[in-house]
Amino acid sequence: MKNASEGTPKTNLKQEAQKPGARKFGMLMLGWQRFKRNKTGLFGLTLVSIVFFFAICGPFIAPYHPNDQSAMLEFRSKSPPSLKNLLGTDRMGYDVASRVIYGAPTALVVGVGSMLVAAVIGIMLGGISGYVGGMADELLMRFTEFFLVIPVFIVILVMVRIFGIVVVGSVLEKIPYLNLSTIIVILGVFGWPPIARIARAEFLRLKEMEFVEAARCIGAGSVSIIFRHILPNALPSLVVIIALGIGGSILMEAMISFLGFGDPKAISWGQLLYFNYEFLKIAPWASIAPGIAIFITVLGFNLLADGLTDAFNPRLKE
Amino acid sequence: MTLVGEQNARLLDVKGLRVLFFTGAGVVKAVDGIDYGLQCGETLGLVGESGSGKTISSLALLRLIPRPGKIMAGEILFGSEDLILKTEAEMTAIRGKKIAMIFQNPAYSLNPIYSIGDQLGEILMWHEKLSRRQADEQVVELLGLVGITDPGGRLKQFPHELSGGMKQRVCVARALLCNPSLVLADEPTTNLDVTIQAQILDMLMELKDQFNMSMILVTHDMGVVARMADRITVMYAGRICETADARTLFNAPLHPYTAALLETMPRVDQSYSEKSKKRLTVIPGRIPNLIAPPSGCRFHPRCNEADETCSRIMPESIKIKEGHTVSCLKRSPSAGDS
Repeated sequence: MKNASEGTPKTNLKQEAQKPGARKFGMLMLGWQRFKRNKTGLFGLTLVSIVFFFAICGPFIAPYHPNDQSAMLEFRSKSPPSLKNLLGTDRMGYDVASRVIYGAPTALVVGVGSMLVAAVIGIMLGGISGYVGGMADELLMRFTEFFLVIPVFIVILVMVRIFGIVVVGSVLEKIPYLNLSTIIVILGVFGWPPIARIARAEFLRLKEMEFVEAARCIGAGSVSIIFRHILPNALPSLVVIIALGIGGSILMEAMISFLGFGDPKAISWGQLLYFNYEFLKIAPWASIAPGIAIFITVLGFNLLADGLTDAFNPRLKE
Repeated sequence: MTLVGEQNARLLDVKGLRVLFFTGAGVVKAVDGIDYGLQCGETLGLVGESGSGKTISSLALLRLIPRPGKIMAGEILFGSEDLILKTEAEMTAIRGKKIAMIFQNPAYSLNPIYSIGDQLGEILMWHEKLSRRQADEQVVELLGLVGITDPGGRLKQFPHELSGGMKQRVCVARALLCNPSLVLADEPTTNLDVTIQAQILDMLMELKDQFNMSMILVTHDMGVVARMADRITVMYAGRICETADARTLFNAPLHPYTAALLETMPRVDQSYSEKSKKRLTVIPGRIPNLIAPPSGCRFHPRCNEADETCSRIMPESIKIKEGHTVSCLKRSPSAGDS
């Protein structure tokens, strides 16, 4: 194992380095070599890829339109899995398999979207905090801690509901998926503190590194130091926390939708649970399928994050 | 570069430089009023124990004193310009282009995520406004000069694929890219094998002449300065003890600290076996706390020639002869003996 880890990456890297495109990704390539040997991480990546596949190809492979309630007309609602409806139908005659597949893009958009918002806020605040230091650091970190102690979930429920009411009758109402976008933004706005903390720690560590000082001695300005030298080196740690956050956000959204605060127009797994949990005894498949989908997605992102930790910070685990 | 052309022209003059660190425990007088300088084409060795302020006084030239340090007083005349008065933007243009630095630890002074070609080319693209291709060509040429085999192929390699000596060669190449008039080498060979040390030092000497540069060599290794430096400045506890040309300093050191420092250096022409009864001497005591340095001469608590006046009067630097100054009360012309 040890020998293999020293031998293979170098030779592969050299081959990769021949391609002009591979030039900038020295550390990423090394990370990938390490990641490839990590079974958990690969399993997580597989699960996430499957979810992405369904999200992208959903419309082509889903057997029914998501709003197709025709089974109801044939008195086949709540029918168990069969050849006609692979995962059965629910109490309103929807095909469970199609609904679950159409729920994948929603979950990913929520997860990735909210973490993008969180990453922008978190990296900015954490980066400033770590790079500038002193009073700014003190203030920003207290601000971050303030966000950490807020019972986020309740605040989100309240805000989603209030926003949903405020908007009625205004121009904003015409925006498609407004409710879902609100959830994404709010999840992002409340999800940045862990990212900010990691970003701060990394900036603090990296700004003292000799290569940063060397870059300064060569005449690099602050902008170049931050964006060319510090941020790319901080990314591995940030990517891990962001991958974890995506799983967390998807779970959060499922919880919000399960409580009935979700976007009624978007198909989400939490919402499917919300619609069907009362019929758990009569049509269990209608609740189990979206439940498993949530489980697989969140597990996938968490394992992926775990694998990324091993790949980028190998010393942490030894 | 008009600066480089003329021989015997003054390249750098630091006057009364004072750098203070404002820490929680008090104000650390890391560099406390020092003067030094060098001529075009000269190599100045800046020697001293750890914590004597030698690295700080060289970083001050680039105005890159780490926090919480600040340059509180002094002039840094580089050519005809005072670097203290420059704006940050003007300094950025000088760093790397006119004054470059080589660091102690080559393993950490290259950014791990960029290939050698990217890191070095970037500098030329900033300072010289070259295109990517022109920059690459120049980088390859320089990598060849610093003794790297297959420089073209190395462009695409990453720092972790190079050995320590190779990395330091790359760092030297990086420092020389824009043909600076002054190179600051901060213990450039401390972290390398002895054999590679020698190679790097030889290479530095050669390139220094070839590029017509001046160099400030910061080190605690008397062997290295003996080999490299034209003139030597000895620092102790943030002040300068003695400045002289290398030959004079080694043969006839005037300051007690310089003499003691030379005594601590093992010599090939002396036997230290049981029989010879000769032992390597040690300077007793430790480098003082710079928050509350000793009164008078900073070295007096450890000096075996010190008397009561030394603890009261801070010695001024005295010119013994052209190019040889010493700051010691016992060596002032009025004291008679020397």
